[in-house]
Parts: sequence; C-alpha cells; structure tokens
Amino acid sequence: MNRHGCQITKIGLLVCLLTSAFTVKRADNGVHAADLSDYPWSFQPMIRHEPAAADSLVNSNRVRNPIDQFVLHELEKAELTPAPEADRQTLMRRACFDLLGLPPNQQQMDQFLADDSPDAWKKLIDSLLQSPHYGERWGRHWLDVARYADSGGYETDIYYRNAWRYRDYVVKSFNDDKPYNIFVQEQIAGDELWPDNLDLDPRRVYIVPEDKQRHLEARIGTGFYALGPRVHESALDAKRLRYETLTDWADTTASAFMGVTLACARCHEHKFDPFTQEDYFALQSIFASARETELPLWNAMGEADWRQNFPRVMAVQEARTAYRLFEEKTAGKELSPQQQKTKKQLLTAIGQAVVTLPESTAGQGTLAYDALMHIPTVSVLGREHPELVKTSHLLERGELQKPRQEIAPALPESLALATGASPKLPDVFESRKQFALWLTRDDHPLTARVMVNRIWHWHFGRGLVETPNDFGFMGTVPSHPELLDWLATEFVASNWSVKQMHRLIMNSAAYRQSSRFSSQRHLTEDPNNHLLWRMNRRRLEAEALWDSVHTASGTINLQTGGPPVVPPLAEDEIASLRDKWHWVVSADPAQHTRRGLYILVRRNFRFPMFQVFDSPVTSQSCPVRDVTTVAPQALWGLNNGSVFRQAMHLAGRIVKEAGNNPRDQVVRAWQLVLSRSPRKNEANDALQLLRALETAENQSLTDPPESLKMVDPRRAQALSKVCLSLFNLSEFAFVD
Amino acid sequence: MNSRRDLLFDGSLGFGSLALGSLLARNLRADSGRVRNPLAPQTSDLPGTAKNVIFLFMQGGPSHLETFDEKPALAKYDGKLLPEELRDYDLAQINTADSQVMATQFPFRRHGQSGLPISSLFPHLSRHADRLAVIRSMHHELFIHGSAMIMMHSGTRLLGHPTVGSWVTYGLGCESNDLPSYIAMTDSIFRNGASMYSSGFLPAVYQGTPVHADGVPIQNLRQNPNVHGREQRMLLDQINAWNQQHLAERPGDSRLEARIANYELAYRMQSAAPELIDLSGETQATRNLYGIENGAADRFGKMCLMARRMVERGVRYVQLISAGWDAHGDCRGNHDKQAQKTDRPIAGLIQDLEQRGLLESTLLVWVGEFGRTPIRQGSNGRDHHPYGFSAWLAGGGVQGGKVIGATDDFGFHAVEDKVHVNDLHATMLGLMGIDHEELTYYFEGRSRRLTDVGGQNNLASRLIRV
Repeated sequence: MNRHGCQITKIGLLVCLLTSAFTVKRADNGVHAADLSDYPWSFQPMIRHEPAAADSLVNSNRVRNPIDQFVLHELEKAELTPAPEADRQTLMRRACFDLLGLPPNQQQMDQFLADDSPDAWKKLIDSLLQSPHYGERWGRHWLDVARYADSGGYETDIYYRNAWRYRDYVVKSFNDDKPYNIFVQEQIAGDELWPDNLDLDPRRVYIVPEDKQRHLEARIGTGFYALGPRVHESALDAKRLRYETLTDWADTTASAFMGVTLACARCHEHKFDPFTQEDYFALQSIFASARETELPLWNAMGEADWRQNFPRVMAVQEARTAYRLFEEKTAGKELSPQQQKTKKQLLTAIGQAVVTLPESTAGQGTLAYDALMHIPTVSVLGREHPELVKTSHLLERGELQKPRQEIAPALPESLALATGASPKLPDVFESRKQFALWLTRDDHPLTARVMVNRIWHWHFGRGLVETPNDFGFMGTVPSHPELLDWLATEFVASNWSVKQMHRLIMNSAAYRQSSRFSSQRHLTEDPNNHLLWRMNRRRLEAEALWDSVHTASGTINLQTGGPPVVPPLAEDEIASLRDKWHWVVSADPAQHTRRGLYILVRRNFRFPMFQVFDSPVTSQSCPVRDVTTVAPQALWGLNNGSVFRQAMHLAGRIVKEAGNNPRDQVVRAWQLVLSRSPRKNEANDALQLLRALETAENQSLTDPPESLKMVDPRRAQALSKVCLSLFNLSEFAFVD
Repeated sequence: MNSRRDLLFDGSLGFGSLALGSLLARNLRADSGRVRNPLAPQTSDLPGTAKNVIFLFMQGGPSHLETFDEKPALAKYDGKLLPEELRDYDLAQINTADSQVMATQFPFRRHGQSGLPISSLFPHLSRHADRLAVIRSMHHELFIHGSAMIMMHSGTRLLGHPTVGSWVTYGLGCESNDLPSYIAMTDSIFRNGASMYSSGFLPAVYQGTPVHADGVPIQNLRQNPNVHGREQRMLLDQINAWNQQHLAERPGDSRLEARIANYELAYRMQSAAPELIDLSGETQATRNLYGIENGAADRFGKMCLMARRMVERGVRYVQLISAGWDAHGDCRGNHDKQAQKTDRPIAGLIQDLEQRGLLESTLLVWVGEFGRTPIRQGSNGRDHHPYGFSAWLAGGGVQGGKVIGATDDFGFHAVEDKVHVNDLHATMLGLMGIDHEELTYYFEGRSRRLTDVGGQNNLASRLIRV
C-alpha cells in the first residue's frame, strides 16, 4: 500500500462496485418505474404488523410487552422454550452496565432488591435513564459509529484540539433524549437548518440568548464531519485531499445514518445494492458546497476581554525571546555564577508570565481557554462561498484524472424512488439540509430501522440485523423482520425517542431472560441464539472494564465533559509511540481516573489497555466491536501497574468502610467488585488466601496510597493481592 | 483440590463436543471420559511431514509478473491494449477495456539446478530456488483487499470463519506449553483487525495472539514488583478456582473456557516470551543472515528470526505480515522497496531453518491476497488482480525447484492446473498430514471445513518429496 493507498483503493473499489451494480430501472420517458421488487428488503416500506395475539402463545404468561409476542411466536414455531427470568441481582447489574456502563453500587442494589412493588424494574430503568452517565455510555456507542478520534491518523496523526466538543455534544444529545431525527439533522446539516445566526440579544449586548445557544449546539453536531481520518502531507495536492475528504464524508454518511455500505470492502462479488455511480457522486456532491470551518465559542464580552488581555501573551513571547538571546550569547561557554543567576531569573520570568495568563474567558458563561489563552473553538461544517464551490463530476473508475459528466447533488435514485421522492435537490446551497430532511422523514425505510437495530444490538450484543452498517444485499437479513418494523414504527411514533426504546426493550421479558439457561435441544437447534431463547452473556467493553476497576476502587472521577485526558503509561506500553508529544500525560492525577470515554483517542496510538480489549479502529465507522479472548488480556490483569495500583486503592477503601475484621473485609470486597456478597465457600477461600499472603516473606508495598498507609502492612499487602484476584475474575469481566 | 490441569479440562466443561466428527476425535477422547486439553498435540497417520507453518503474507498484493511468473508477451504488447477477450473483467480501480499492457519491470533469470525463473527482485531468495515450489496458477475472484484478505486467511469471503492458523491448531494442537499455539505479527498494523487471526466460529482458544513486532516487547510481561515470587502462583490458583466455579455454572461458553486457559498461558508466557523475543543470544552471523541491522531489512529480519525461535519452541502456526505491496502508482519503486525489506530475511529464514534441521518439518508459504494486473495504472503501477497470481511453498517436506500451473500469455488468467485458495489451504493441511475433508467442526446445522466445498486440487501428494 502506498502512503494513502488505503483511501485510493477504497475509492477505486467503491466505484468499481457501483459500475457493476445493477442500474435503476428507467422507463422510456426517463421517469422511474416504481418497481421495488429488485431492491433489498430494507428499501421496502416499513409495515407495522401486529404481533401474534398473546393468548395464541403457549407461553402467554411470559408476555410483558409486544416485543415478547414477536419473539415468543418465533420461538414456539421452532418449538423452543424461552429461558426463565434472571434473578434480580443479575438484572440490576445488567441494567446498570447496559445503561450507564458502570456497576451498581451497594445502595442502589439494596434499594432495588428491597423494592417489591410491581413497578420496581420500571422505576429502576427510569432512574438510570435520568443519570448523566447514561449519555456517556450511549454516546460512546455512537462514537464507534462516528469513527470518533482526537487526531487525523496517517503519518503525522495531526491533533484535533476541539474534537471533544463533538463528543460532549453526543453525550448531551443522548442525555437530553434529543429526538433521533433531530440528532441526524444536526450532524448532517446543523448549519443549514439552524443558520449561523449568533446575533447578540438586542437588549443585552453581551449575552447570547438561549435559542442561539441551541443553534450553536446544532452546529457542533456537524463536527461529525470534521474529525475523520485526514491525510496531512505536503506532497498531496489540494484536489486529491478534497476528494479524500469527500470520500470519507460520503462513505461515513452512508454507513452511519443510512446503514448502507457504499464502500464495503467485504462484499459479495455478484449481488450489489442498487446504487449507481451517479448516485455515489451525487452523494459526494451534496457535500461539495460544505467547508470545514472553525467557530469561536464565546460571546462579545469574552472576546473583548481576550483582546484586552492579549498583551499578556506578548509578555510571554518577550520573556521567551529574552531567554533565547541569553542562550545564544552563552552557547558553548561555561556559565559564571552571575550568568547562572541571570538564567534562572529569565526562566522564572517566562514561568511567571505564563502562570498569570487568564485561564478562562470573561463575562457571563465563561469558557476555559483551549490552551494558553487559546480561543475556545469548535470545528464544524460551514458553507463554501458560492463562487468557490467546485462543480462535481462523475469520475470514471473513481480516478481523479478522468472526470466525466457534471453531477448535481441528488438523492440515491433507488432510495428516492422507494420513498416516492424526487431525487433532485433543487437548491445547491442547501443540499445537505434537503438531504437530511429527506433522510429523517417518518416513512424513510432505512433511518428508523437502522437506529432501532443499533439500539437492539447494544442491548443484546447482537442486532436483529447482524450487520448494523449494512442493510443491503451484502448484509444479513433480519432474524425478526416484523419485530424490527414494529420497533421502527414505534420509534417514529414516540418522536424518535431513544430513551423510549430503552424502556420498551428493557421492559420486555426477552431482555429479562437468564443468560445461564441452556439445553441440548436449544444448543443444537439454534446455537447462536438467533431466536433469543436466552439473554446473551457479554464481556465488558474496554471502557466499561476500565470504569469498573476504578469504580470498585473508589478512585473513579465522574467529572463529565471537557478535553481528553491522558493517563500515564508504563514503559512497555509507551514503547511503540513514535512521538512523545502524542501522549502528553495530564498533570493532575485526578484526571487519570476519569471514565474511559474521556481518554485521548489517537488514530495512530490506541490506549494500550483499550487496544487489548478491542476498542474500535477509527479509520471508518465501526458498527460492531470485536470481542477477542487472548492471553495479553490476562497479562494486563495480572501484571499491569495501574491495575495493581487500583487493587491497593480498593484495599484501602475496604479497610476504611469495613474495619479490621478480615471476614467483613472479604464481604465488602465482594460487594464492591462483584455487586454481591460472597458465598460461604468463596469467603472461606478468600480468608485462607488472605492468611497465606499475610505470612509470606516480603511484606512491603511499593508506593501504597494514603488510605493503606494506616493499615498493618501485612494486611495491606495481602488484602491488595486478594483485590487484584477479584479484578481478574470472569464474573467481573462478563455480564450475565 | 484437583490438579490445575484436571480442573482446566475436566470433561464437564464443554470441550467434549468440540472436535467430534473431526479426524481427531479418536485422539481427543482420553481415558475415563475425561476430555484432554483442546490444545494437546495430536499426531496424524497421513504422510505429511510438516509440523509447523510460517505463513509469509505479503499484504497489499505483490505482482506475480514482477516476481515468479515471467511473461515475455508483456514486453511485446507494451503500450497496447489487451486482446479483445480480456477486456471485460472487473478490477478495483482501472478498466481492462482501455488500459495498456505494461512490460515486466524486472528481468528474470533462471536459478539453481532446476532453472526456476525468478526476477531480479529477490537475489537472496533465488539462491534457494531448488527449495521453492512455485504455484503460478493461484486464483480467486475478489479484487478488493478486505474480502480478498479474508479469503486468503479463512477460505471464504465472509467474516466470522476461522483462519487457517486456527484450523491448524484445532487439528494439531500446540506443542508449546508456554507460548500461544498461533501467533500473528505484522510490520505495520493489522489492517483487517482481528479477522487476520480470528478463530471465527471455532472456540476462542484457537484464536491467534497478535504480537506487535515493532521492537516492542509483549506488554505486561513482567510480574508486578509488588507480587513476590510464588505469590502470583497462589493468586492464580485461586483465580482459576473461582473462574472454574463460575464456568461450571455457565457450561459451554467457550470464551470463559478460553479465558481460563489464557491465564495459564499468560503465566507461562512471563518466562517464555522474554526469552523468545530476546535476540541477544543469536550470533552476529545469524543476525547478518536475516539482514538485522541492515537498513530496510532490519524489521522483517527480526520478525523472521523470531518466527524461527517460535517454531523451535513449538509454536504451531506463525503468521508474518509484510505490509505495503499495494503498488498502484509505481510498481517498480514499490516492489524494489518491499523486496529490500523482505528478500534477505526470508532467504535467511530458509537457510537458518535448514541449518538447524527444521526446514523439513516447517512449511513456509509465501503469498499475497492477489497479484497485479498486466495492464498499467498511472505511470508504472498495476491494479489488483485475483484471476491469476503466484505463491510459493518451501520446507515441510516439499520438493523444491518445481513450478505448478500456469497463467495465460498475459498472466491474466490461471489456465493450467488451477489452484484456488481452497486448494492452497487443502495443500497446506495435506502437507501437515491432515485430510482437509476430515477436519471439520459442526456449526449451525452442518459440518464446516476450511475448504468449504473446494480443495479438489490438493497438491500435497504431488509436492511431497519421495
């Protein structure tokens, strides 16, 4: 592969597919024949089937909502029985990880177990959905789809200093239960739908009114397009760079919002989806009038303050110049005592000048500067000046050197036909707006289906369609097509409320099934559990595992939002980093234990623990994460310094909360790590291990946390090691 | 408490059903109904002599026309269109109808007693011509990297199927107690993620372990300084016991089973892996042989030397990936650079294995996901070409100095003795004494195999030296 061969190849592939794709049928008069029969199932209109009547089902007593009527109907056709309901402790843990990505705490657990009212479960889900950590969990899911990263990848891996504002926008959108259609509209065309009108409140000059803030938020959504992989090399010509960018935009739009994989590298060689080459370049053309731009995020008061303070930046500059001059003068010479004193003074002057720089903008609604008085900005889409918009051409075989006919922005013809819309987008300068509005029509056959399927996938570990980014011929067909359509229509009817979908799904009996049920018959008939005869057991994702370790130890810092944080790494972890400036460790240790969501995402250097536990590759939209089981995961659990550190913190917390009685300590350890009390044999094993470790020879811990310094050193080290064992349990890493 | 191994592979834990129906069923079931370690080494009755595989994967697709398949016709037609009948085939980026033929960029010479033609790209490898069996009639139909790579690794274009290394370790087990049975290493990144070493629907214990060859040791190998001496073993025994109990209540979950096995493996890797990757004990002569500290060859040289050390230590299947062969724009420059990175290391590997008496039992396979077009792309590049391309095998009992199959005059189609990817896989298994039709795994209603319904042109019996 050459430097950017990957991209070139992708484009080439795509175009190749498109040209081989079967063409949309045209009648002689140029109007499309309305024949959908050759199209994939997902292009057909959604039909709301009523589920099988509850009383027609053998297991009608298991029905909690219509989802179950669909699921049970299929199970009974296959003569399979559903698993019994999971116990309440399991359900609680499942719900917390599912909605928050965090383990339940003891108080939540006790409260739920003690609540025997019939709507206890419903109340639990409602309260979890109110948590600000819900958006962090589900926002992270969406960031997989959005190929989110804080840098551009390729050779230079340029830093995106404000990509995190898009991340925070996503988290907020989920927390606000922003209707999904609006969420899509904002990301594709926030600037065109809610124009860049950040005028000041006429009554009070320095205040940005609330509705303008909302417009601003919508614009931040278009940051989706500003954080893709980016080639950054001097040799690359502007036309090629633009083409690479448009390719990323078109392909990611198709994968993320439409669930069709235009640039699929894993496709079937014969049956292609009904998209033509014209369709593809028309999609690129929709974005041709868009331009990436930086929006300052402050009000007039802040701006005036910044201008007023600017000489302070100049003072830093002057102090640095003074030091440079001194360095030049003394280069290669031994410094006299007087010169050494001068040197120190000069360095101190720089430090003082830097330290006195203001850290945030002034006025109402202050914002932290991005760095040293660096204006807070967000990278978004804006519109190119009309005279500068380049005409789009169909490129033969995707080769930039072979432009053919001009291509205007348009909807993919087959899909336009499927929705009864005209493919033409009359206004070139609002093409994204028209595209987004069409895509979020209530009757659009893809948008709602694709999203409810993602939601289902993130709840069950597998979608009703197993290829969430590919609803075409190359993807899999739905296991429960009628259920999928029913959910999609419910989704639209509930004003595209994602939280409503959580309520619906989690209140079903299907969701509440045990994962521990099996029988030979079930395993033979449906080994992969396509029919949902039980719940799927799932390993925690990298971030959830990280969060769980820190939650148990009590060190988790649940601060929300803000720039990415950079935890320290061990020598062997950092060894493959090519440029040390790519991993500048956060100075404040409290930042090292933030939730995994907030850890810097570099395209060229994944956080090593996340890489070991299958965090996504960010070169393109990731619909389904790998779940591997490899020895390096065990090595991390056993040997990684940060895990042991957390085990020590956990030991300190246990002593603080449970006192000195070893049995109490063991019980507390189980509660904190596994959200349950130990069984008798487990407690005995742990006590035995504790005793054995206490009598071991070497008793000192290296660099124990404060909380452990007061504890008898024998107990401190022994308990830390027991805690380490608990972090290595399958039960800790898996959710039943 | 039972011994650890008993606990690990107690018959109640669900491994029992794994290999039933495979040729190995007879070996897997040990006495008293207890099922043995799924990775226990297996023997075979078939005549294959290869015990280990080093799969040299040239990612991006090296040109067969610049390496092992000499085509004088290309020079004759240079600048002209392809013959009419070859103008209607799908390629990734260029068009067969209007692109011009491009002459071979490197001269070929005959090498060794066999006179095997190899281009000037590989002067070092050429010295081993008499050990290479070159297949010139490889073919499939996928002209895109992603699906072609999945095909080359798992015999199908679909995701979710086991890779060759997983099938081989499933079939033959692992001879090392201390290292993974299947290791994958790349000089770049794993372009297709875990699909390059995935165990697919096979149990997770057969998955490859990715090792980053970037001069970086395996992370977290060193025992935490706070855990002293035997304490780690104590902890691990307790962790295993608790995890076994957890598994016993959730029988049949291969991820939980593999997880437990991985803790034991990780424990042993702590002592075995540092020794494995420490090349300081190798003589300067050996290092020179592989091109280590020799500019472009250094990185792949280290990978090849590590591969030999892995094979010596019983790793069953080593996958080495050399990324960067995707020569769209400049075939000459690209291949020249790629050859400088890999020629000396691969030649050194063959020689070193031979010197140590390991070549007979170690099968080397060299192949990309496809070859490259006879027609020009850009100034002197070539596009992806799956319809006919080359691979070679060496060692593992293979008779060298041989050419199997042929492409047409343009190197476009495999025309003689065609070898599909399934056939290559059948051949690899055959050389290891495994009948590819017998190595099956029951999944979703039918017995699956690496070669699906293909593999009829199994070359093993023809390639084995008599």
